[in-house]
Amino acid sequence: MGAQPLPADSNVASGVWWLVASEDRNIVVSEGANATLAIFDAEGAVDVNIDIMAGAELRLLHLVTSHSAAQIAIAVAEGGVCRATEIVVAPSDTRVVASLVGRDARFELGGAFILTDEDNASVTVDVNHMVADCTSRTSYKGVASGKAHGSFSGLVYVAPNAQHTDSEQLSRNITIGDARIETLPQLEIYADDVKCSHGATVGQMDSDAVLYMRQRGLDLATAKRLQIEGFVDDVILHSSVESCVELVTEVVAEKLNRL
Amino acid sequence: MLKVENLHASVGDKEILKGINLEVKAGEVHAIMGPNGSGKSTLASVLAGNEKFTVTAGSVEFEGEDLLKLPIEDRARRGLFLGFQYPVEIPGVTMANFMKIAVNEQRKHRGLEPLTAAEYLKMMREKSAIVELDSKLTSRAVNEGFSGGEKKKNEIFQMAMLEPKLAILDETDSGLDIDALRIVATGVTRLKREDNATVVITHYQRLLDYIVPDYVHVLYKGRIIYTGDKTLALKLEKEGYDWLINDYREE
Amino acid sequence: MENKDQNILQELESSDYKYGFVTDIETETIGRGLSEEVIRLISEKKGEPDWMLERRLKAYRHWLTLPHPEWAHLDIPEIDFQDVIYYAAPKQKKQLNSMDEVDPELKRTFDKLGIPLEEQMALAGVAVDAVMDSVSVKTTFRDTLAEKGIIFCSISEAIKEHPELIKKYLGSVVPYTDNFYAALNAAVFSDGSFCYIPKGVRCPMELSTYFRINAEGTGQFERTLIVADEGSYVSYLEGCTAPRRDENQLHAAVVEIVVEKDADVKYSTVQNWYPGDKDGKGGIYNFVTKRGICREGAHLSWTQVETGSAITWKYPSCILQGDNSSGEFYSVAMTNNYQQADTGTKMIHIGRNTRSRIVSKGISAGRSQNAYRGLVRVAKVAENARNYSQCDSLLIGDKCGAHTFPVIDCHNPSAVLEHEATTSKISEEQLFYCNQRGITTEDAVGLIVNGYAREVLAKLPMEFAVEAQKLLALSLEGSVG
Repeated sequence: MGAQPLPADSNVASGVWWLVASEDRNIVVSEGANATLAIFDAEGAVDVNIDIMAGAELRLLHLVTSHSAAQIAIAVAEGGVCRATEIVVAPSDTRVVASLVGRDARFELGGAFILTDEDNASVTVDVNHMVADCTSRTSYKGVASGKAHGSFSGLVYVAPNAQHTDSEQLSRNITIGDARIETLPQLEIYADDVKCSHGATVGQMDSDAVLYMRQRGLDLATAKRLQIEGFVDDVILHSSVESCVELVTEVVAEKLNRL
Repeated sequence: MLKVENLHASVGDKEILKGINLEVKAGEVHAIMGPNGSGKSTLASVLAGNEKFTVTAGSVEFEGEDLLKLPIEDRARRGLFLGFQYPVEIPGVTMANFMKIAVNEQRKHRGLEPLTAAEYLKMMREKSAIVELDSKLTSRAVNEGFSGGEKKKNEIFQMAMLEPKLAILDETDSGLDIDALRIVATGVTRLKREDNATVVITHYQRLLDYIVPDYVHVLYKGRIIYTGDKTLALKLEKEGYDWLINDYREE
Repeated sequence: MENKDQNILQELESSDYKYGFVTDIETETIGRGLSEEVIRLISEKKGEPDWMLERRLKAYRHWLTLPHPEWAHLDIPEIDFQDVIYYAAPKQKKQLNSMDEVDPELKRTFDKLGIPLEEQMALAGVAVDAVMDSVSVKTTFRDTLAEKGIIFCSISEAIKEHPELIKKYLGSVVPYTDNFYAALNAAVFSDGSFCYIPKGVRCPMELSTYFRINAEGTGQFERTLIVADEGSYVSYLEGCTAPRRDENQLHAAVVEIVVEKDADVKYSTVQNWYPGDKDGKGGIYNFVTKRGICREGAHLSWTQVETGSAITWKYPSCILQGDNSSGEFYSVAMTNNYQQADTGTKMIHIGRNTRSRIVSKGISAGRSQNAYRGLVRVAKVAENARNYSQCDSLLIGDKCGAHTFPVIDCHNPSAVLEHEATTSKISEEQLFYCNQRGITTEDAVGLIVNGYAREVLAKLPMEFAVEAQKLLALSLEGSVG
């Protein structure tokens, strides 16, 4: 099934759509719809607002390949689901704000940033649990090499009375060379009957694994590359927009060549 | 000792117990059997006082007192013990400390002095031997990281420590291998006396090979539909519940 | 179950502050407000040398240029710094030579606090420096310590008697330029403790300071300086209380620790300043800067149990400057009613092969707000840095808040940094289980909270651990233990 450009009236029914975010947009995913949307960044700052109506499911891909500053605000109504993938391979400032505003709403995000040379990128993921019984999962991976600087800021906010919130947030990072990564996984919780956890790691490549691969005849660069590929692969393989997996793989592979 | 009359209980709007009648006397062992969802665990919970359930009708007398009026801990201190099907983990609270408080609360209730540390340790050593509980477990947090078998042994160990008048064991045999089952069951049998009583809730006859019941009750859809002696359990094992349930439908 | 929760919550809210008595002794204070004149007066009253006065004035002038910090997750009412009394001392005629000369009323205060100021000290093996309002009252065991070359005295005395050490170390870890309250403290600090452990000496007893704010309308700005010279070891304890008062009182202390090569310092705090009443009236504002610097192979461990104060703002930190140095931070922060706490640590990895470990346990009840804020920074030159952080929050009731703001800032790719956090509540299953074994809900909550904090309490010296456990239960249960 081929993807179509997102129509200007912005009411999205079931189907597969794509959008180059060159101007601010307000998008509504109709009640009960099952839609897929790929957003490609254009240079510059844009705001995209997405309302996922009751019972609707949106699979979202956000691909950042140019100097951009995009904010994607997502509101998920009762029983709605948003499964998002975000891939950042260029100096940029991206921000995803997901608000779960209806019961049993669910938000999932798998993300990765890969930065090389002198890239400087900041990624923010704020998840707001505004009502009870919602679930969120955020897993973001960061790789920085050269003189790159990456920062991840994640916030899980649980409003008073948003009981039975179930939230996980994970930030895993690898630095190579003189690169620098900051991570700020934050929790702000005002309800007591909740399950929230977060984790963050910053580490380096597993030198034993690199050694092992070299012993089997791989050169150092390939061994390192393989390992980084393995690190970000699950984000790509579980990409929420299947039809774009190939494209994403290509973009990531090209970036990994610069490590 | 225990007299349950026409007990009705529900959770939310759903009625689960629909008129239970049961009398347990000192020295007796009762087994309660029945298919899944018949209300066996609910009965145990209601008797222990779990506030998740609302009693809508009926009465329960324990040692001549109105049990239903008492908060959970007072029922426990008066000698009602519930062996949990799924014992909860309490991180950071050591088993030893937990039991010391429980034992001394009960002693206080009985008008006895609290145990000294030495007396308590001695008691713990003796009682943990009854269920072959690894003494290391008592220095660990309550049920935390215990295997399924250890959790169940731990329940019987606590029963030994608290010496209840009435012990209700909720599926204590589930998830146990044959060795653990033997140990748990032998523990229960060794704690058996003329002045206490045991209610065993179980799915399987195999536990009743070790703990021989005086009465076997079959619970179905919130009512006790049949009561027999120990041979009933054997028959149920062989023939299932269908013959009883069919009889019941005809009624 | 709902009713029962309500009952516990009510009990929690009505829990009493045991240390809320006022000692009726004559106090010498200077007027409210702050100016160069006031600073000159403080310095003069303390008979300080000129260089110290100059340092104070420099800090004051810098302070005037600073805005009040606002970044913490706190709601701090505006503080009128001209309405604070910056110096209050129990009135005494002359220098004290023995225990018998201490004002009996004062001694009674310390007895009530459970501080063994007299002979029982020997049994406890603790040397105590007690600071009431602003002045150090009595340092016990000084002679025993002197035999080993250990200096343990009030900072005022140290300024007079050990100027070379003070000049070298005071302000070397927390300079007056560090932050708003550090500047204020450097300008107006009136007393505190000083401790010096010479090379290779293992301090034979735990050193302890008790702080108490007594006089009305006063602020307490104590300054603590600990210097552990090469290869030495000391365990230092700090306890705090204040009387119950309707107004808010300000406490802005600075603690500096210098841990020289291969030295080991353990610093434990049980902070129990008056938290305010159940409606959030009164209580201490506790704005504290604590920091230590570790040279090569040195080790610094902070352990804190924070149950008091209306507002706590405090981040005991380690600068791991030397290679192979290590820092630890263990914290239990409990807030109830309208208390606010924003506490955590900073681990700054600079040397090679540096290690740090953070274990933070927050407990929020009532309408309180409890935040962990941490920073783990790995400098570019810090090869092979390792950090492990664990931040857990326990919420009791649905009107409180728990927040976690950890920052990981890594400039060196060889670092391995891990952070984990969880949030939980006391489950109804746990309470039912305890109830079924005959334990009341109130006791069960105390038991579970202590179990939850066990990992940190275990790091405290024994006597302190017992006190801390009682404090946690006290803050929770409403029954005076």
